Amino acid sequence: MAKDSLPASKGLERLVEALRVLPGVGPRSAQRMAYHLLQHDRAGADQLAQALAGALSTVRRCARCHNFTEEEVCALCRSPRRDASLLCVVETPADLAVVEQTLSYSGMYFVLMGRLSPLDGVGARDIGLDRLLARATDGEVQEVILATNFTNEGEATAHYIAEMLRARDIKVSRIARGVPLGGELEYVDAGTISQALLDRRNI
Amino acid sequence: MKRRAEHEAGYVLHTYPYKETSLIVEAFTRRFGRVAMLARGARRPRSAMRGVLLSFHPLRLSWSAPAELGNLISAEWSGGLRPLAGRGLMCGFYVNELVLRLLPRDDPHEVLFDSYGETLSRLAGDGPFASVLRGFEKRLLAELGYAPLLDRDAASGAPIDPEARYVYEPDRGPMPVRNSHSNDLLVSGRTLLDVAADDYARPETRDEARTLLRALIGERLHGQVLHTRTVLKELNDL
Repeated sequence: MAKDSLPASKGLERLVEALRVLPGVGPRSAQRMAYHLLQHDRAGADQLAQALAGALSTVRRCARCHNFTEEEVCALCRSPRRDASLLCVVETPADLAVVEQTLSYSGMYFVLMGRLSPLDGVGARDIGLDRLLARATDGEVQEVILATNFTNEGEATAHYIAEMLRARDIKVSRIARGVPLGGELEYVDAGTISQALLDRRNI
Repeated sequence: MKRRAEHEAGYVLHTYPYKETSLIVEAFTRRFGRVAMLARGARRPRSAMRGVLLSFHPLRLSWSAPAELGNLISAEWSGGLRPLAGRGLMCGFYVNELVLRLLPRDDPHEVLFDSYGETLSRLAGDGPFASVLRGFEKRLLAELGYAPLLDRDAASGAPIDPEARYVYEPDRGPMPVRNSHSNDLLVSGRTLLDVAADDYARPETRDEARTLLRALIGERLHGQVLHTRTVLKELNDL
C-alpha cells in the first residue's frame, strides 16, 4: 500500500516536517523516526523534546571565544591554566575540538562559526570579525594564530584577519601546511606536495 | 544528449554542498564552456577529490553527462600555476563570480578560457591587479558579444579625441557631451584610448576605466548583485 494514502494526523505531519531539518534526513527517514518515537519510545521522545528546548534556551555563545556554552564566559576562557597571551582562530567548534585533542596548545580560542565566502556572500560581519578585532586588541593577547582551513575561503579569511591585525601591530602567525606526519611522498597528492615545496623552510 | 568527456582542461569556479557527502561543481572547461556536475561523495573525509576540487588550479576533468547535470568521474591536478593569495585571491573570487553570472552554460569559449588562465597566473603574481581585472572584464564582454566601442564616437563615427570628454551610453558607445545629466557616465577621450590599448599606466585611466567597465558589466548583470564586491567593501571598511 502506498505511503501517501495513509491518513496522517496534523501533529504527526508537523513532527515529520520538523525532523527534516536535520542534516541527511529526508522524508522517508523523518517518517521512520517519527513513528519510532511515537510508537516505541515515548519516554525517549519526551527526553528529546526537553533536551532540545533546554539547549535552545540555555546554550549560547561565549562572550570571549564565541564557542557554545551555558555561561556568559565558557570554562576554557575562564581557566587560569590557559595561556592568555595566545589566541587561536578556528572556523568551527569541531576545529577547536581537534586542536584541543593535540594536547599541544594551551592558549585561548576564537571560533568564527564560518569563513569568508565571497561567492556565497558571506562577509566579515557574518563571521564576527569586528568582535575578533576587539578580542585580539584587549591588551592580553600577544599573538594570534590563524588555524582556518587551507581552502581558498579559509585562506582568504586568514589573509584578511592578518591584514587587520598587522595594521594594529599584533603578531599574527598561520599554522603550517605540507606533507602530513608519517606521510610518504609517493602517496601524497600533487597539490599538497606542490604547496609543501612552495612553503619549504631552511634547516 | 549523452556524452562523455575525458581529461578535459578546466577549472573549478565554485562548489556547493549537495546532500550529506556530495558537491555540485561549477566548472569552466576549455572545450565545453561552463558546465555543472555532481561530484558524488566528494565531501567524504577520505574522498580522493577532496583537496583537488579547488578553485584557481588547472585540472583535468572527466565526466559523463546524461542530462543537464553531469556526473564528475575524476578530477586530476594538472598544476603549473602558483596558488592565489591575499588580494590576488580576492580578485580571483571576483573573476569567478563574473564567469558564473555572465557566461551561459554549455557554451564553449576557448579564447576566454585561455584568457582566464592567463588572468589567474597574473593574479598569482604581485600586482597591482587593476589592469588584470580590466583586461579580463573587457575580454569577457567581447566574448559575450558586447565588446565596448572605444575608438570612435558612436554618433558621428569620428575618431576619439583624447582631449575631449564623452558620455558613454552602454548600448551605443561614447557620445559627445551635450547637456549632461548627473547620472551620465562621463569619460575622457584619453581613457577610452588607453582602455582600447590596454594601457593602465595613468591613475585617471584606472579610475575612469573601473567605473566604465563596472557600468558595462552592470548592464549585462540585469540587476544581479555581485557578492564579491559587497564582501570586499565590507572588509575594507573594517
